Amino acid sequence: MPDYGNTWLVVPVYNEGRVIAEVVEQALKTFPNIVCVNDGSTDDSVEQILGTGAHLVRHPINLGQGAALQTGLAYALAQPGAEFFVTFDADGQHQTQDAEAMVGLLRDDVADVVLGSRFIEKTEQVPVLKRVVLRTAAAVSPTARRLKLTDSHNGLRALNRAAAQRMRITMNGMAHASEIVSMLARSSLRVTEIPVDILYTDYSRAKGQSLLNGVNILFDISLRERGGR
Amino acid sequence: MTKSLLIQVVLLLGAAGLLVMFIKRWDAVHTRAWKRIAFFLFIVANAFAVLFPSLVTDVAHFLGVGRGTDLVLYLLVLAVGFLALNTYMRFRSLERKLTDLARTVALRDAEFLNERRFPAEAGIAPRTPEKASS
Repeated sequence: MPDYGNTWLVVPVYNEGRVIAEVVEQALKTFPNIVCVNDGSTDDSVEQILGTGAHLVRHPINLGQGAALQTGLAYALAQPGAEFFVTFDADGQHQTQDAEAMVGLLRDDVADVVLGSRFIEKTEQVPVLKRVVLRTAAAVSPTARRLKLTDSHNGLRALNRAAAQRMRITMNGMAHASEIVSMLARSSLRVTEIPVDILYTDYSRAKGQSLLNGVNILFDISLRERGGR
Repeated sequence: MTKSLLIQVVLLLGAAGLLVMFIKRWDAVHTRAWKRIAFFLFIVANAFAVLFPSLVTDVAHFLGVGRGTDLVLYLLVLAVGFLALNTYMRFRSLERKLTDLARTVALRDAEFLNERRFPAEAGIAPRTPEKASS
């Protein structure tokens, strides 16, 4: 099993006290370095995280998921030896195996950023490695310059150090996902996308984004960068 | 026809001005100066409108608007738009500052907290001074 001592999982946490300890413990089996950013939760998330082996950063007030991600990245970047960064949802819908595959791509230096997608279908017949290489080639090739991403709102992302340092998430709310994608599209970073499994438990479904929230995201994005500094 | 065009030009210019301010940087000093000038003119116009109500109607006629009241209404719409925009941008700017502040506090707090929770790790990998210099 590869050593993930140089990899940090960044987990934004907002009122996930019911599941966070379990999610963190599960992920710690693979990834020894985890930083949870408690975004002003009103439940017992902090106590739950303190009971685990994850690092904890506490926002004094609720700022939104985008802000929590940026804080977590800033914390992880400051840790000695940190090379790879994975953003991971706190509600248990992401799989550590998928995160491992993403970090593997970063490690092989075929991409700077790997995004998880729910919509690329997993064809079991094609060997994993071949499938990964094919998709990577497609995404990295100059002709596919415009990132043809199938899923821009997946919380599972892996970044190498150069990419993580470029992250400047300014949209505090949920619009940060689109912000990240458009930032990646403007950058010269090599971005690829791999299929990931999402565990849709009743818990995560209840917490998921509603259609109405999509309207909020569209509005935020349309006004982005127009606000004064 | 030419008269009704005049008010249209005024209102469209106002809308265009809003758009430009929206897109361009907001907090620049000269923008603030213009806002103050606009406020001063607004006060003066107020005083005149109160002292000589018929003046508003005259101006309205000149601009091609039927009644003074209508002219005031049109300008009010512009003013409200301006106000909403100004408030929105001020909020965004405040939110950004608040985020920076909260992040700084959170990171500093986390340094102490996690150093205490994982003293062994801190011993193995002492923090490099790189962070302080940046």
